[in-house]
Amino acid sequence: MRPVYIVGAGMTRFGRSELPLVDLAGTASLAALRHASLGKVPVDGVVVANMGGSRINRQTALASALVDRLALYPAAAEAVENGPASGASAVKVGFQAVASGMADVVLVVGVEMMRAVDGLEGTDFVASLSHPEVEYIYGVTLPSLAGLFARLYMSRFGVERRHLAMVAIKNHDHAMKNPYAHIHQPITMEGILTSPEAVVNNPLVADPLCLFDCCPVSDGSAAVILASKDIAERLSGPRVRIAGMGQATDTHAVHEREDPTDLRAVRLASEKAFAMADAKPADVHVAELHDAFTILEIAESEAAGFFKRGEAHKAIERGETRLGGRLPVNPSGGLKARGHPVGATGVAQLVELTWQLRGEATDRQVEKAKVAYACNFGGFGNNVIATVLRKEER
Amino acid sequence: MSEAVYGAKCTACGAVSYPRHLVCPKCRGEAFQPAEIGGEGVVLTYTDVYALAIDYDVRYLRLAIVELDGGLRVTGQLLDEEPKLGKRVRTTVGVVRETAGKAIYGLQFVPA
Repeated sequence: MRPVYIVGAGMTRFGRSELPLVDLAGTASLAALRHASLGKVPVDGVVVANMGGSRINRQTALASALVDRLALYPAAAEAVENGPASGASAVKVGFQAVASGMADVVLVVGVEMMRAVDGLEGTDFVASLSHPEVEYIYGVTLPSLAGLFARLYMSRFGVERRHLAMVAIKNHDHAMKNPYAHIHQPITMEGILTSPEAVVNNPLVADPLCLFDCCPVSDGSAAVILASKDIAERLSGPRVRIAGMGQATDTHAVHEREDPTDLRAVRLASEKAFAMADAKPADVHVAELHDAFTILEIAESEAAGFFKRGEAHKAIERGETRLGGRLPVNPSGGLKARGHPVGATGVAQLVELTWQLRGEATDRQVEKAKVAYACNFGGFGNNVIATVLRKEER
Repeated sequence: MSEAVYGAKCTACGAVSYPRHLVCPKCRGEAFQPAEIGGEGVVLTYTDVYALAIDYDVRYLRLAIVELDGGLRVTGQLLDEEPKLGKRVRTTVGVVRETAGKAIYGLQFVPA
């Protein structure tokens, strides 16, 4: 297998976009291409990650459309739909193309325009990833799966609502330093939990989870340029290698898992990614986790191996996962505050980590970051991709 | 009969799955008989969800995962004004969703 490098990364600001879907993807693509400064080196592959275009934007075959918009013909092109893990799945497809020698330079871009439809339709669109026969028919939506998970997890491990609020406050704080984040709004414990107004500011969404435990609904796009070692050596800038990728699946219906609080697919995908990278969780300097709900940041950080089970909330209490802490988690603001345009998220995580490893993360830079980890969590944990990035000295 | 809920019982190992699979997750058998799902059990977890899917004209839905006696777990709607983790409930079958005028039957849980 040939080594694969991320030689460019770019994204649009997440939030609300008036651009057509393909132009949104094109904008992030051009940002990543400019960042890579490929010169005359051709892009020979394009992979687009998107979950809902066919339903909410009524457009299919996005990769063909993007190649046309960017005049990248005759590059190979395909789209990947893998639920909320579409982004990292697309990166994996690009990785395999470069690693196998089938391509030398691949553009991977994730894009989603969720605000093209109203909230009800948007929630229903994402809910359609749940099990149609034993979950969806009961009115299950993603927030409800998260609520069910949170209540069980919190009762088992002594996690309180204030711990969830700490995750939200941290990620909102981090996003204040990220010009690409959807939400630029500092929040406080009083405002969302302890004051009398908190119940108004922060209403229940899926008990025990409240509004500020949930990611916003976002439009946005993020892109990375993958390249072989030969190409990467010809380009300027720090070299970031995709050192490991691991993927694992689990039961479709959450209730069918032996222990529904065990994010087994996160654990297995992470073990594979770390083994491939010849690294361990303790080597990681910065992580992007899939905090579509605050409880997931806590549970994933344990399943990935950064903390023992039931210990992450204590580390959060000590500030260990803040910028400046022992292991900064979601310096970008995470899904919680950077936003969660579903198909773009897995790519956006790697955009942030590439910037971090290149020392280009401005005010939110994690000092001396050399090893980075991302978890892109599909479904409700039934399809997970973990990635380990490593900075290589020239 | 549309008002009963069925899982699949593997004819080789006897394991009951809800949802059904084409291959038994326990023994990889491929032959099944329908198995009616229901009985008593305990609430493993529950939530009141306000972020609703289309088709619901209510303020919130109370959903639960229940562990039935015997170990099989099921998701369904909890019809209980005083929900509690570990509380004993029994299953009933009722209309859990109406899509385009069509009633969909599924599991509901009431205090045992």
